[in-house]
Amino acid sequence: MEQKQPYTVLVVDDNLLNLKLIEKALSKEGYRIFCADNGPDARAMAQREKPDLILLDIEMPGESGFDVIRKLKDGAETNAVPVLFLTGVSEVDSKLKGFDLGAVDYITKPFHPLEVLARVRIHLKLSIATNSLIAGQAAKLRQLTEAQVSMLPTPADNPGARFSVYYKALEEAGGDFYDILNISENIKGYFVADFSGHDIKTSYLTASVKALLAQNCTPVYSPMESMKMINDVLVEIMPSGKYLTACYMHINRTTRKLTIINAGHPPVVCLPVNGEPFLIKTEGDILGMFKDAHFGSQTLTVSPKDRFFIYSDGLVESAENKITWVNGADSLLPVYREIAGLPYEKAPEALIDRLFGKEGLPEDDIVILCVEV
Amino acid sequence: MDFNDLALRLGIDEEEFKELVELFITTTRSDIKKIKNGVLDHNPVDAAAASHSIKGAAGNLGFDEIFSLAGDMEMQGKGGSLDNFDVYIRDLEKKVNALIG
Repeated sequence: MEQKQPYTVLVVDDNLLNLKLIEKALSKEGYRIFCADNGPDARAMAQREKPDLILLDIEMPGESGFDVIRKLKDGAETNAVPVLFLTGVSEVDSKLKGFDLGAVDYITKPFHPLEVLARVRIHLKLSIATNSLIAGQAAKLRQLTEAQVSMLPTPADNPGARFSVYYKALEEAGGDFYDILNISENIKGYFVADFSGHDIKTSYLTASVKALLAQNCTPVYSPMESMKMINDVLVEIMPSGKYLTACYMHINRTTRKLTIINAGHPPVVCLPVNGEPFLIKTEGDILGMFKDAHFGSQTLTVSPKDRFFIYSDGLVESAENKITWVNGADSLLPVYREIAGLPYEKAPEALIDRLFGKEGLPEDDIVILCVEV
Repeated sequence: MDFNDLALRLGIDEEEFKELVELFITTTRSDIKKIKNGVLDHNPVDAAAASHSIKGAAGNLGFDEIFSLAGDMEMQGKGGSLDNFDVYIRDLEKKVNALIG
């Protein structure tokens, strides 16, 4: 890992003698020192110089050390910098307050420069180790993301399935998943699921679900039978408290029969080639939680060019605006009408643009699958 | 006062220590001025804050008598009293001037 040299320390104390003493002791050992004798200057310097560590006096006129650390911890660029308090106050409450506000340690005044040096070294080592751990974990999560994405089929790989997709994981280990099942030349299955939680366990479960779909979504079983068999296995293997909502859409393009199996998932949107968009509401239990689960089911006769949208709740829900998919899905129907004229390949992206704008960030993972008959 | 010994205790050489002593004298005189203003304004809080500053710096350099005197002044000021501060200030100035010797 690239290490920046030399390490930089910001020293904040209203007493110039203390600043000078620490500066002398630390610079001799190869550290680059920045000094500030008041809170506002210290914060500006922290922002500008991004020090590796901050030594901060508590009792200063104007902005106290407590005020300074509170503001540093609120700033995205400064909140991860370890702060050590310099304190002449020996009361436990004062020290605990410092720790509560995010300090990693304190040095009692009067201090010996060699003690300051020793503590700076310890906390820089800890900081280096923590950063290296974080970098390692991030690299592993990136690999996981790549593995997850590689499991998601693309329209180019499945030209007969006539689908387009928008997929966005909010975190490295996404909770949304979709799959396309090539059951026969004219029979395709489309599966969208949303796992509870976005953790590592979830990402491993997506591989299991993909394997179960491949095993059970075959011409031999009806869509309902396929989902029930998958549910039975998931009930056995899912960790306690984990479940998924899912929607399985089965289209036979020869008979023009479309079947939707819903397991606690938001309703599918149908955009008929001639007509207004509507929701296909089918209530059902979630997947992987109950042995004798009951799933919603609906079968429709469809026409060529009819479109169906299966999506995860991130599209229609907003925790910030207190919108759940129960009321959110209905309110979006006019947006589907607006994008009816676009080729189906562009529909999911256009939907996202209209709902979130070009730069808007969704609050949750999102998958939208647009399927044309 | 043996500056060489105090410097050794801090892990620096005598010249560097003398440089710090000069800075200490400057900052302490400035703090003494703040204490005097605190006394004139009957403001023990300000006098205590300036005494605190002197205490910290003196302690760091190993000036134990100044550290102890400033500590007493800080405590008394925090308690809201400025009694005998004129005597304390004179004593403090004497001890600081002695450093120049």
